Amino acid sequence: MAHKIAVVGDKDSVLPFKILGFNVFAAANSQIARETIDSLAERNYGVIYLTEAMAKEIPDTIKRYDAEVQPAIILIPNHKGSLNIGKGRIQENVEKAVGQNIL
Amino acid sequence: MKKGKIVKVSGPLVMAAGMEHANIQDLCYVGDMRLVGEIIEMRNDVASIQVYEETSGMGPGEPVETTGEALSVELGPGIVSQMFDGIQRPLDTFKAKTESNYLVRGVNITALDRERKWDFTATKAPGDYVETGDIVGTVQETKVIEHRVMVPHGVKGTLKTITDGAYALDDIAFTIETDNGLKELTLLQRWPVRRGRPFKKKLNPDKPMLTGQRVIDTFFPITKGGAAAVPGPFGAGKTVVQHQIAKFSDVDLVVYVGCGERGNEMTDVLNEFPELIDPNTGESLMERTILIANTSNMPVAAREASIYTGITIAEYFRDMGYNVAIMADSTSRWAEALREMSGRLEEMPGDEGYPAYLGSRIAEYYERAGRTITLGSDDREGSITAIGAVSPPGGDTSEPVTQNTLRVVKVYWALDSSLAQRRHFPSVNWLTSYSLYLSEVGTFMNDELKEDWSGMVQRSMTILQEEAELQEIVRLVGIESLSEKDRLTMVIAQSLREDYLQQNAFDEVDTYTSREKQYIILDLILSYEAEGREAMRLGAYFKEIIDGTEALRDKIARAKFISEDNLADIKAIKQEIKARIHEIVAEGGMTKNA
Repeated sequence: MAHKIAVVGDKDSVLPFKILGFNVFAAANSQIARETIDSLAERNYGVIYLTEAMAKEIPDTIKRYDAEVQPAIILIPNHKGSLNIGKGRIQENVEKAVGQNIL
Repeated sequence: MKKGKIVKVSGPLVMAAGMEHANIQDLCYVGDMRLVGEIIEMRNDVASIQVYEETSGMGPGEPVETTGEALSVELGPGIVSQMFDGIQRPLDTFKAKTESNYLVRGVNITALDRERKWDFTATKAPGDYVETGDIVGTVQETKVIEHRVMVPHGVKGTLKTITDGAYALDDIAFTIETDNGLKELTLLQRWPVRRGRPFKKKLNPDKPMLTGQRVIDTFFPITKGGAAAVPGPFGAGKTVVQHQIAKFSDVDLVVYVGCGERGNEMTDVLNEFPELIDPNTGESLMERTILIANTSNMPVAAREASIYTGITIAEYFRDMGYNVAIMADSTSRWAEALREMSGRLEEMPGDEGYPAYLGSRIAEYYERAGRTITLGSDDREGSITAIGAVSPPGGDTSEPVTQNTLRVVKVYWALDSSLAQRRHFPSVNWLTSYSLYLSEVGTFMNDELKEDWSGMVQRSMTILQEEAELQEIVRLVGIESLSEKDRLTMVIAQSLREDYLQQNAFDEVDTYTSREKQYIILDLILSYEAEGREAMRLGAYFKEIIDGTEALRDKIARAKFISEDNLADIKAIKQEIKARIHEIVAEGGMTKNA
């Protein structure tokens, strides 16, 4: 079954993804971001790219989907640069899966 | 009368030859000590007699004398608040007479006090036509029990004399002109214990017997006239459940048969009951209780009789039009007494050594329970509710006594040792217990409360069952793997278990919960669930709901400790739940950022 890919974040950061054919959802504040992600999760989105800046505001929402198979929420830097949260999460997950930090 | 001679003594079983004039089930006086016994088998002129007292020191050659009467109980004023042994000897009189704390042999005392005078009030007048079972007058036996004096079995005719006044049990209180001449009658009747007292018609039991125990009244209700079994391993709380029902059930009279269990348990009853106030009448519980004690150190044969003595007394009060409950703790000891006698009689044993007729004996006992139209022209309605504890060895309910009991009772409260170890009392397992009266009681309660009680019960049960399934997953992969909806189910189920099903028998308020309070608390938990689910649908997270309602859940948990007088306080919590959860939804988890 095919899944859709969404990108959520501030308008300036997410618009370029439209060129790649992703569905883009601009979220002006954390409240809207949270509602968007919840509704996307129900609408068969497999991967949601979320800007780090936004992710920092809604840790509960991200944690909520951690244990679920889909959607996978992947954190990406925004146009202002990286906050290193996304990378940190990947490292954390690798550590959980492998048992030690191999990166 | 001709006397037989003992030829063999084997514990409580005595065989006597030369008894050709006796009949089966006759009462006998055995040996020089004149111990009371009952003939349970006849072969030619050899009678096998089960002796209701210790037989040590008895030998062949001693005389046996039959009375020609069956083992009977005396029925009349003075039974209530008494404590009898298995063959209806009053234990306090016994103690006074023998000056011993233990049973002394060969003592002959009457079951009921012959000296005491009872104030008899006639309700019929001379010249009235009366038939068997008609009430001719009353005696206020205790503050709550009005003893209704009935025309004994087999008598009908015209009342010749009847006057108010104080009568002792042997005084002639009224006379009836029957077809066979004048019959002089006293306040006392006798009835053989092994024969059920007749009634006009048996009815389907459909009114619940309220016990004040939430798990029983809500999930596994028993009806007035029903029969229930409480099997459970040691320490699971059989006795406490029985005591609680004896204390708080909304019946008129309770017969408590302590059958082969520890003497201390009867002491508990004797100590506690007089001090406890019956919530239904406001009087001491002892005013409506009859105790029959055959503790583990009392003679085995009398244990066998104690059950029958109990139910015959219960039937007598049923015939007056009362709702009676009889508790037997424990029927396993009674079955073991049967087994012991059967073994000594050298009968062919059935399962686990129990006699082959175990099933029919158990059925016979429980079938004497029921809701009936009694004899008599005014069609009174009475009921006997029988509740029997069963102690299956090792808690294994596949043994014969439990199985045979389950065949005849419609309610099964399975006590669970693992719940008891977790300190979940009463440890009635909600997954394995059942009540076949659930639909009747549901209909009755829906009418009574004007609410969808049966729907609520059904919903709660579903939650508990879902929890059991989810628990399996949690054990395998952890609570994190559950969806938010399932985690809410787990929280609600926990609340049901801990805040509703658990009930502290030793807490003053929690020990008894009225029907209204049960409804209100259950409604609280279920409306918390409904509001929670609605909030989730609107986008609130599980964590937010749980964190946001911590104080509220604490309030729900404490609702059961709020006394019956302040039910409005519990009702108010429901509004709080609504308001709080609406707030949570409105906040939408953004409190931290606000």
